[in-house]
Amino acid sequence: MTGRRVVIAAVVAAAVVTLGWLMFEALGRRLAAPIPDQEPAPAAPAPAAARGPHIAATLYFIAEDGVTLQGAPAEVPLRETPGAQAQALVEAQLAAEPPAPLARAVPAGATVRGVYVTGRDDAYVDLDGAFVKGLGGGSHRELLAAYAIVSVVTTNLTPITRVQILIDGREVETLTGHVDLREPLRKNETLIRPTP
Amino acid sequence: MTRSARYHDRVVRRTAAALCLALTLAAVARVSLAQGPSPAPITVVSAQGRRSLTVATVNGGDYLSLDDVATALGLTLRDDRVTGTTTLAAGGRSAVLTPDRNVVSAQGRLVSLAAPPLRQDGRLIVTPEFVTRVVSLVIDRRVEFRRAGRLLVVGDLRVPRVVVRGEFAQNAAQVTLDISPATDTTVTAAGSQLVVTLGADAVDAAIPMVPVQGLLQQIRPGDTPNTLVLATGPRFASHRATVQAIDAGTSRLVIDLLAAGAESLSAAAPPAITMDPGPGLLRTVVIDPGHGGDANGTEGPGGTLEKTVTLQVSRRLKALIEGRLGLRVILTRDDDRTLDQDQRAAIANNNRADLFVSIHANAAVRPTVKGAEVYYLNVDRASLESRLAVQQPGQALPQLGGGTRSIDLILWETAQLRHLEQSATLASLIEGALRAKVEMSPSPVQQAPFRVLVGANMPAVLVEIGYLSHPDEEKALASAAHQDTIALALFDAISAFRARLERPAP
Repeated sequence: MTGRRVVIAAVVAAAVVTLGWLMFEALGRRLAAPIPDQEPAPAAPAPAAARGPHIAATLYFIAEDGVTLQGAPAEVPLRETPGAQAQALVEAQLAAEPPAPLARAVPAGATVRGVYVTGRDDAYVDLDGAFVKGLGGGSHRELLAAYAIVSVVTTNLTPITRVQILIDGREVETLTGHVDLREPLRKNETLIRPTP
Repeated sequence: MTRSARYHDRVVRRTAAALCLALTLAAVARVSLAQGPSPAPITVVSAQGRRSLTVATVNGGDYLSLDDVATALGLTLRDDRVTGTTTLAAGGRSAVLTPDRNVVSAQGRLVSLAAPPLRQDGRLIVTPEFVTRVVSLVIDRRVEFRRAGRLLVVGDLRVPRVVVRGEFAQNAAQVTLDISPATDTTVTAAGSQLVVTLGADAVDAAIPMVPVQGLLQQIRPGDTPNTLVLATGPRFASHRATVQAIDAGTSRLVIDLLAAGAESLSAAAPPAITMDPGPGLLRTVVIDPGHGGDANGTEGPGGTLEKTVTLQVSRRLKALIEGRLGLRVILTRDDDRTLDQDQRAAIANNNRADLFVSIHANAAVRPTVKGAEVYYLNVDRASLESRLAVQQPGQALPQLGGGTRSIDLILWETAQLRHLEQSATLASLIEGALRAKVEMSPSPVQQAPFRVLVGANMPAVLVEIGYLSHPDEEKALASAAHQDTIALALFDAISAFRARLERPAP
């Protein structure tokens, strides 16, 4: 009789411990989940990005204040060369839908024609004309769009420090009349809101 | 004369001499201790004529005797010994001041002054600002202080700004007067001087020193308020005067002074000596209405175009600067035309502008974003160093008449770099002036690599006057009243910047 009680007590104790562990684990995961108001959810990737090996990257969107950029995590396909990786990053930036409450910094429908990386840590990003047409106007929209492209390359591909934007294979003075694009641009930290 | 009479006479003479000496020494000591070198007088110019007022320097600033101001402008003064106040009155209007206090009650309003009225040696002294802001309310007329010409202009008088330059060669000299707003002039020879008479009530002239040579000895204000005098030298034989129109707002009078048998400077070799009016003056402002022609810029949800709003605000600002400061103002476009970015800076550079202000309206993805912003250029240090490395320090060019002339070549890409500090100052002044009148964006002053600012060889800023993408702000930006408010804020900032430039170095 005593031995039976001991077995029952051991089983009950094991069940309580197991239940407690399960509850603790579930609660812990819930507590560790990101709070939507403070940190954006991962950016919705382009359909092709889900296949094959990938890297953890940061894409850039317009912050809730409307005047700065804010980074959001995303998975971007792994590529073998810096040029191909830079192109994959820009493709992801152009295709990604912004997580709430962020907004798109680059025009929808624009595509990247190619990315060329030089031995001097510069990258040349060749975008199509839809990038300009979709901007509308205003210096701030132009600033944020240009620096979203610059930031996504320089942040995720550390050897690259400067990015020059080309349109339809050609060097341009500006996109819509404001930002000087005749030289490669460096990342502009003053335009980027720190991630909470 | 008896012996006692001679003795008496000697005593009287010695006493008188001692008294004179003592008085002179006391006066000299008082002036040197109290004021240091005496500053140039300030002249009150009104419809009744003009009167020169003595200026004292206190704490580094100009002060005028309130008694002198009252005499010049027909004010009565009354001291109240019980309250320690002084009342200025004219025609039933009045103001009450208390020495050492920055706030003055004038016509029921409180006026805050940068420097208070002071009592010195039993008399009240006030700043030119007191006259423009307090006395103007009492006499019910606008009073403007023209710092360069040291004029207090009372009422709506025509007082054009005149910037004088000179060039001198061996047998010829050329004096150029840029007059804003454009004004009729005549030049007459009278003995050993040439008198330039302007069709105006008075002249606000920035007159430089004349280098030693034999054709021209001095340029000075004339005996009447609307004249300037060129005192000619012993080698002067004849003169020739021509008038040129620079633009709608400025005329140029060129006076050639010739020695016997000489030809004018424009036909002779380039000048050997150049008389510069000085680096600190603001003479020409270029305003750049953003976009235009094929480039609409951004468009508000109600259809308001950026290129239209920027031109309207620019025209209002031009009228304010010309009318109130008398400066030369040039618009890069005064109609709906396409200009590329380099053309805009080139207009400023070719006209030797002292200030470049590009006017734009903004747009944001989020329609809730609103407010004005001011930008000045930011520069990539690495590319800057590579550009400066290839810049030539100077180059010798051959000149007509033989010899060479050294000129500094400034790369277009580096033109703005030398002015970045002043551009930042200007941006800060504009931000402050705009904030007092309109809403500012969350990022009111920023640096950005804006193309139009790169080649400007003078302090330069780009002002975003508001967001057309915000529906309410679009309506405001399209209204005349709001455009006037913005233009006035920009005018205030440019006036403050000009005052900084013209303030004597400490």
